[in-house]
Formats: sequence, structure tokens, C-alpha cells
Amino acid sequence: MWREIGDREAGKLRPNSFSNRIKSNRIQTLQLSNRKDIVSPHRGSVNSLQVDLTEGRYLLSGASDASAAVFDIQHGTDYEGGGVIRKHKCLFMVDKQHEQGHKYAVSSAIWYPVDTGLFVTGSYDHHINVWDTNTTQVVMDFKMPGKVYRTAMSPLATSHMLIAAGTEDVQVRLCDIASGAFAHTLSGHRDGVMTVEWSTSSEWVLVTGGCDGAIRFWDIRRAGCFLVLDQSQSQLGRRPPILKRSATIKGSTAKSLSASQSSFAKARTPQTKLMNAKQSPVGKIPVKGSLKQRLHPGMLSSQDRATAHYGAVTGLKVTEDGMYLLSAGSDSRLRLWDVESGCNTLVNFETVRLQTSKPIQLATSQNLALVFVPCMTAVKAFNMWSGKTSLTFRGHYEHVNCCWFSLQDQELYTGGNDRQILVWSPSRSVSDEVDEGPKDEDNWSD
Amino acid sequence: MEEEGGGKVRVLIEKATTSTEPEVDPRLLKAIKSVVRRSDSELRLAAHILMDLMKREHSQVRYLTLLIIDELFMRSKLFRTLVVESLDQLLTLSVGFRNNSPLPGPTNVATALRSKAIEFLEKWNASFGIHYRQIRLGFDYLKNTLKYQFPNLQANAARLHQERRERERKSKEILLNKFETLKKNFASIKEEIQSTADEIGECLEIVRAKEERELLCPLDDEDMEEFHSYEFRQLRLHSLEEADKIHENSENKVVFDALRELYKLLVMKHLVAVQEWISVLVRVELTDNRARDSYLKEFIDIRNHIQSVKKKCEESGCAIPNTTNHEEEDFWEEGKIGSIESKRSSIPNNRTEDSVASTSKEVLDRVPECHANERDGNKRLNRKDGATNSDPLRSKLLAEAPEVNWGSYLDNWGSKRDVLANHRGLELESHWGRVDQDAVIPAEKIAELNLQTTLYKEQQVEIQPCRAPLSKGELCQRRDLRTCPFHGPIIPRDDEGKPLNQNPSKDEKTPDLGTDIVEQLAKQAVKNVREKDKELARKREIDKKSLKRAKLAKIREHNEAVLRDAAMASTSRSADIGEDWAATNGENRSSRNKKKALASMLQKKETPKDRLAQRLLNTRASAATVRQLTLGEDANYREAFPNQW
Repeated sequence: MWREIGDREAGKLRPNSFSNRIKSNRIQTLQLSNRKDIVSPHRGSVNSLQVDLTEGRYLLSGASDASAAVFDIQHGTDYEGGGVIRKHKCLFMVDKQHEQGHKYAVSSAIWYPVDTGLFVTGSYDHHINVWDTNTTQVVMDFKMPGKVYRTAMSPLATSHMLIAAGTEDVQVRLCDIASGAFAHTLSGHRDGVMTVEWSTSSEWVLVTGGCDGAIRFWDIRRAGCFLVLDQSQSQLGRRPPILKRSATIKGSTAKSLSASQSSFAKARTPQTKLMNAKQSPVGKIPVKGSLKQRLHPGMLSSQDRATAHYGAVTGLKVTEDGMYLLSAGSDSRLRLWDVESGCNTLVNFETVRLQTSKPIQLATSQNLALVFVPCMTAVKAFNMWSGKTSLTFRGHYEHVNCCWFSLQDQELYTGGNDRQILVWSPSRSVSDEVDEGPKDEDNWSD
Repeated sequence: MEEEGGGKVRVLIEKATTSTEPEVDPRLLKAIKSVVRRSDSELRLAAHILMDLMKREHSQVRYLTLLIIDELFMRSKLFRTLVVESLDQLLTLSVGFRNNSPLPGPTNVATALRSKAIEFLEKWNASFGIHYRQIRLGFDYLKNTLKYQFPNLQANAARLHQERRERERKSKEILLNKFETLKKNFASIKEEIQSTADEIGECLEIVRAKEERELLCPLDDEDMEEFHSYEFRQLRLHSLEEADKIHENSENKVVFDALRELYKLLVMKHLVAVQEWISVLVRVELTDNRARDSYLKEFIDIRNHIQSVKKKCEESGCAIPNTTNHEEEDFWEEGKIGSIESKRSSIPNNRTEDSVASTSKEVLDRVPECHANERDGNKRLNRKDGATNSDPLRSKLLAEAPEVNWGSYLDNWGSKRDVLANHRGLELESHWGRVDQDAVIPAEKIAELNLQTTLYKEQQVEIQPCRAPLSKGELCQRRDLRTCPFHGPIIPRDDEGKPLNQNPSKDEKTPDLGTDIVEQLAKQAVKNVREKDKELARKREIDKKSLKRAKLAKIREHNEAVLRDAAMASTSRSADIGEDWAATNGENRSSRNKKKALASMLQKKETPKDRLAQRLLNTRASAATVRQLTLGEDANYREAFPNQW
């Protein structure tokens, strides 16, 4: 560490890489924090966790007992054990006792991306509530056709204020906070929608994963989805080399041909090429409008039926640069997709088993190429490119539902069915260890 | 690292956990601790091995492993950090809270394992929870989510401590209160005692004055010259003093009574109270001890004073200390007397009817009894009447009179009066119209109402045992009405079975009372002694018999064990037999045998039904093998235990 600081001083190291190195070093030492305790007020499994995007200070959690709570993760509320353990009690909680509270489990709780004045909760009682944080009152209420599995707001949006909601229903609805009405109804999935995610590169692009195993890309400015990810369509490596792209595609085609469904593959080949040629679908819409019209996926049933996972898609996460998409399915697979090409990158993640019945919340740290995945009772951190397990976090006694990585503090928050919210923080250096409180020492009597 | 030292800890742990005992061998445990303490690599290895052992499908192994883990956990920090990382796994394996991985058999050990694990977790949480979030989490999960009952040792201890302190505080308060009251009442207490003491003094004065007056004349009468020597004089004085003490007559009786009263008051009340106050003063804790000390001093003075007065009293009247002594000790004395009496009285009750009472008083009671009853004096009722009442007619009538159960109707027995119907002793308002105050129930109706039913009860006749001597030394216990089929007519016999008297009718009625009583007493005494002796002999015999039986049983047991061992050894018999002998003779059993024992713990216990079926199936086979084996080992046995075959 001192060498790196010296390098930085001498100008040998760029600020960015310097901070990245420090952070990755810290992340390698992530462990269950003994100093920081989040006192969970929930009496049901924790389904959703998010730290606000503006300050990185307030953690919002949603739980199965129809409650949502907000914690200050920077400042503890009280101390225990001679100041060694810092307790974080919730700042406030809304639950069934609240007259406007949810009746059934809160499946998703998210912050309004612009500030912490609002937050949105989606619940199994078919409602999405928008809360004013300061008064803890519901300012807006959307009635959905079924249980709400996941809600999402675009962190980039400047021109719209839409909540994307994945529900039991086959349609994805966009709820407009500005008007209080449903702006869009996106239909295409053949089963309930487990997870929704806004693109981190374009404010108009929405990704949804359904119980039918499909992952669909939507451009909300027009009808229908423009991309359905197909697990059999794959590329090796991060990005197909530009010169050899055709060869790769041929290879992949050959592969899929060698698989059973030859007719499908044949029909798909030209399609894939066109898709690849199109490059960024969002940026070039005005230029290749005619092409687009022709390629509307809704018209090609063969592609429309493509699946990304066997079984349901339970988790989605777009990387920070918006170029890759990670998806988790009830087939216990984790897949990394190249958003641009729409191909499965065939990274083999060493997952053991994933929870199948519930949507799971993944977390990524792009700079460090890590993805945090709840794997049953543990959370695992995989290297995004190799798929190797780099860290395993064991602490929960029941299944973990959600995790959130705060890059600012290099801390990981996880919530599970055992009602706990655990904090995983970098281990402190030895010099910090020597402080007040009772010592933990060897005690050999003989 | 695992090559040189690694083997050691592994072997030790393996050895320690392959046992069927409920405890880890302390020597092995000590060895493990000392090995592990020396090097961290050993400790890491130990943690690894222990976690592996916890996965064994046997609760006994897990139990012992858990005990070792606890030992190391409480001592080594490194071990804690290692174990804590997989605490959830450890808890899963020891508490078995997950449905998909229940604890393995045997069930009793599994429950012990679970309770132990929960206890340990609580202990760990109390002592190290602050340093390890995992422990807190596990504890919290088991307690609050799964609602396991923790023994709550710490809390209990704290509560007990708290209670004790509370009690101490309370007693202190009480003492303080007492002290305060003492402060207030001290003067009056002192005064009271003083007055009592003074009164006693006065009484003594009076008594002494009188006595001296009385004594003066004899002193004058006696010639002083008679007593020449000092010794004689001393002796005389002493005797005179002695004579002083018993002087209590009708004149000074009042004074003595008062003295006794006062003495009692002094000893029973004041002395006790003073002692109590002293103890209070000694125990009480004050900020200022001066007042206490002064009070204490005063009380000690008072006590000394009282004691001196008491002594004086005792010296003056000899009756007083005697009575007090008696009063003090009477509790024990009486108890003893009572028990003796009850014993005495119980002895004759147990004996046959015509036995002689041992105390002379009862004998005297019997004398008029014999006079009164000419006929066979067996009926107790008659006897009593005879003893109390000399009128023969009345006794005769009484003998014939029927017995009637006691009841309220006996109140107006034999009265032939009409009874007023509406006079019940209660002034009742006539709610139901006019009441005829003069209504009468006629006497014959009353008699009818008072008619009692009596059930005929057959008199229980106790059939006497035959009591003829038997060949084995006992008495025939057959109870026949008249004739025993083996020993002829039933006649009264003594304790050895000899017929009491050949011509019973005459002998019993001999009027010579004095000799009869003496004779009977003598007989009784002889009988008592004989009985005692006999009983002793019998006891000895029984002891001997039981000893013999126990010995026999032991030998049988041993033989059976040997047989079983032999039958169990199924492989080449000579080798196994040798091994068995080695195992039983020396204590060092091989680990292979122990494993067998562990496995046997898992096996279901055989029910008698199983055993029967088994036996039915292979009687012949097993018989054959047993015969073979026993034949084979016979020689061995005879050499080893010649006295047991």
C-alpha cells in the first residue's frame, strides 16, 4: 500500500488506477463486519436492499412482513460492547401499522434516483407505493394487475420519471410518477416478469427477465421489444474480435447446428448478422430506421421464442458501463451477455445452486470485475470474466435474497430469509485493532 | 507440516473421539491441548480434523468432537477465528436445526449433543460474542428465529447473585432498624432488667435472712469445741450450707415462688433478649461505630450481671436450677421415655394373647381381673368391666347387651315424649301462610323414625396356626379350624412348637396366683432371651445364604459373559479368544474394538421377540457352536479360573 502511495506521489500511477488498486485490495479482505451491526427491525425475510445513489448513506430495505426501513449506514445510532460494536438502528420504518402501508410482503424497495426525498415500494398486495421520505406518507399509489416482483427506476433518466414494474402479469408496466398513470404497457413475455432493470447506458432501454426464461430488451419509445436474448447464441470471450466477427458467428452457427434444431439455426443466421451489424440499437435508430422496421422481433416468431435460461430468469444486473448484462436463472446458471451483440459470452460461473422460487438481487463492481451473487445461504463473488469464485461470504442461516455493493465504502450488504441484514466490510488493519474494549486473546490454562 | 507433527494431533483426536464414554479422556484432552498449543499449524490441522469429524454420521463422535472443540475454543484465539468461519456448519451438525440434515443416531446421544451445543453456544456468545459477529448471529438466529430454549446460565447466575445481594441488603436494613429501636428503648430495657435483678436480690435477701435466723439456733446449740480442727469445721460448714439450700417451707414458700418466677423471667426473657441484642450489635454495620461499641459494652455488662444474679439464684435454692435444667432438657428426655414406653408396650401386643405383661403395674391390674372372671377370661370387654366394676349382675348384663352405633338419636334415648314439630330453635317468619305452633309429632312416630337398622356382622375368628415343629426347623403355618391334616389336633404350643401343656384345662386354672405370675414372668424372660438368640441365628443364616447366593450369581454371571464373548467371536476361535482375554485382562483395547462398540450403539436394541425368533431359528446351530467353543476353551478356563468351574 505504501509503495502504491509512493508511486502515486511520484506520478507513476494514475489516480484512477491507484484508487482501483486500493479498492480491490480492500475488497479482497471483505469479511463479516464485527464493528458495524445493522439492527434489522424486520420480522420477515429481507427481499430488497438499496443504498441511495446520491449520498451513498441511506440503506433502504424491503421485507416480507410488509415493511420497509431506512438505515443510516455512515453514522451508528448507538454503541455496544465498550464502543467496539456500532449499531445502526433504522431511522424509520413503514409497515402494516402504517395506515397507507402494504398489506403483504414488500418485494422491492428502491430509492428515487435523483435524491432521497422519495422511495418506491412494490408489494405482493398488487400495489406500488411512492413514499415521501421526510413525512413517511404515500404520495402516489399504483394498482397493478398482480403481485409486484420488482420495480426499477432509471438512474440516468433526465426526461422521464418512470417506474418499471415486473409483476405476475405478462405485461410490464411503466408507471409515471409525474402524471400518476401507466405510461406504457409492454407486452411480449409469456409469463410473469420476475425482474426488470434499466440500462445504464441509455435512459430509454429497459431489460426484463420473465418466468418464461426470456430476457427482453425494450426501447420504451416504441412498441415491442427489440431484442430477445438466446442462450444458444454465444460468442467466446469478452467481445468478438472485430475482424474475425463473421468467423465467430459462423462458428457459433455451426455449434448451434450441431445441436439439434437446424431449422431454427438457419432461420436465425441472417438475423444475427443483421443484429450484429446494427451495433448499438439505440444510438443509430434514425440512421437505420428502415432496417429496424424490417427486423421488428415481434414479427419473427422464431427469435421471439428464444430463451436465456431454462426456467425463470430470477435476477438481472447491467454492468455500470452498460455493455454487459448478467442474468441468473432458476436453472442455477449465471450468464454474462454482451449487450451489444446479444450473445452469451459463455463464461462459466462456478455457481453451485441458486434460489429458484424468488427473484434474487445481484450486485456488481465493474471496475474490479466482480459480481456478487446470492447462492442459497451464502453470497459468492465471482470474477466477471473468468467466472472463478474469488470470495465466499457465509453468515446467513437461511437463503440470501439480495445483496448490494457500495463502491464508495467498499462494503457489501446482504439480506436473507433469516431476517438479518449483514454488513461485509474490509478487515481493519492491525493498528486499528488496538483500541478500547475487552481483548480477545489466547487463554491457555495449562 | 502435516508430516511430522500432523500425525500426532490427528492420532490423538482420533483416539479421543472413538470412545463410548460421555466424556473425553482427560489425559488425551490434555495431550491434545499441549500439542496444539505448541504450534499454529497443528492447531489449524486440529480445527480441520475436528470439523471433518463433526460430519461423521454418529452422534457420539460428534459429541466428543464438540467437547474438544469447546475446550480449544475457550483457549485459542486462532482456533476461534477458524471455527467461527464455519460456525453455521458447526451448528448445523451439532444442533441439527436444518430439516434436511437431522442429527444421526443414537438418539439419546443426539439429544445430549444438541443440548450441549446450545449450552456451548450460549457460553461462547457470552464470552466472545463481542468479538465475533458470527457467534452473535448464530446465537440470535437460534434464539429468536428458531426459538431454541437456551439454558440461560449466565442470566441465572446473575439473577442468583442479585437475589443474594438483595437479601443481604434487606437483612442489613432490618439490623439497622433494630439498632434504631434499640437506641430508643435502651433505657427502658435496661431499667426493666435492672428492676428484675433487684427484685431477685431482694427476694434472696429475705430468704437468706430467714434462713440465717433459723440457722442461728442450731449453731448456738452446737458446741463449737467439738470441732477442733479446721477440717472438721470446714466439713461442718459445708454440710450446713448444704442444709441451707433445701430450706423451703410453708413460711417462705411465697418468697420462693416469687423468686422462681423472677428467675424464670430473667433467664427466659431478659437473658435471651440481651444475647440477641448483642448479636444484633455485632452484626450491624454503621458509619459511626462508637455508639454501637458503647451499647455493646453496656449489654455485655448487663449480661454479666444477669449471669451473676442467676448464679446466685442457683446457689440459693437448689430447686430452681433443677427445674430449669429439666425444662431445658425435658424435650429430649421425654422423647426417650416415650419411645421406651411405646417399645415396651408394643412388645406384649405383638405376642400371643396369654403372654404376660412385662411391667409390674399391668401385672397388678391383672390380679383382680383373675378374681372376677371365673370363666374363660378371653373377652377383653369382660376383663375391663371386671377390673373397674365389681357388680357381677351389671357385668353380666353388659356382656349380653347389644352394641349400638353412636348417633344423634342417642341424645333422647329411651324418652317417650311427643316432639313439637314447628319448634326448631329458629324464629322463622311464616312465609307460607299460618303455622301451627302446637303441632306435635307423637312419641310412637318418633320411635319409628329413630328405628335403627343394624347389619349382622360375622365375628372374625382368628384361626390359629398349627405351629407344630417341622423338619426344617420352622413351625407349621397351616391354619386349620381344629385339626391339622399333618400334625393332628391344634393345641397351644410354645415358640419351639412343643405342646404347652398336656392337660391344659386344669393347669391354666390353677388359682395359685403368685407362683403363676412368677413362673410366667420367668418363662417370659427365658422366651425373650431365646427368641433374641434365635433371631440372631436366623439373621446370620440368612446373611450367609445371601452371601452364598451372591457369590453364585457372580460366578454365573461371569460364566455367562464368557459364553457370550465366546459366542460372539465368529472368526478363528483360538485367535479371537486370545484377543478377548487380552482385552479383558488389560485395559488397552484396540481402536477396532471400540469402533465396533460405536457401531453397536447405532444398532437397535434387541427385543425379546427378536431374540425368541432368533433362538428358534438357530437353536441347533448356536448350540453346536457354543458346545464347540466351550470345548475349545475349557482348558483355558480351568487354568485361569479353577475355582469357578
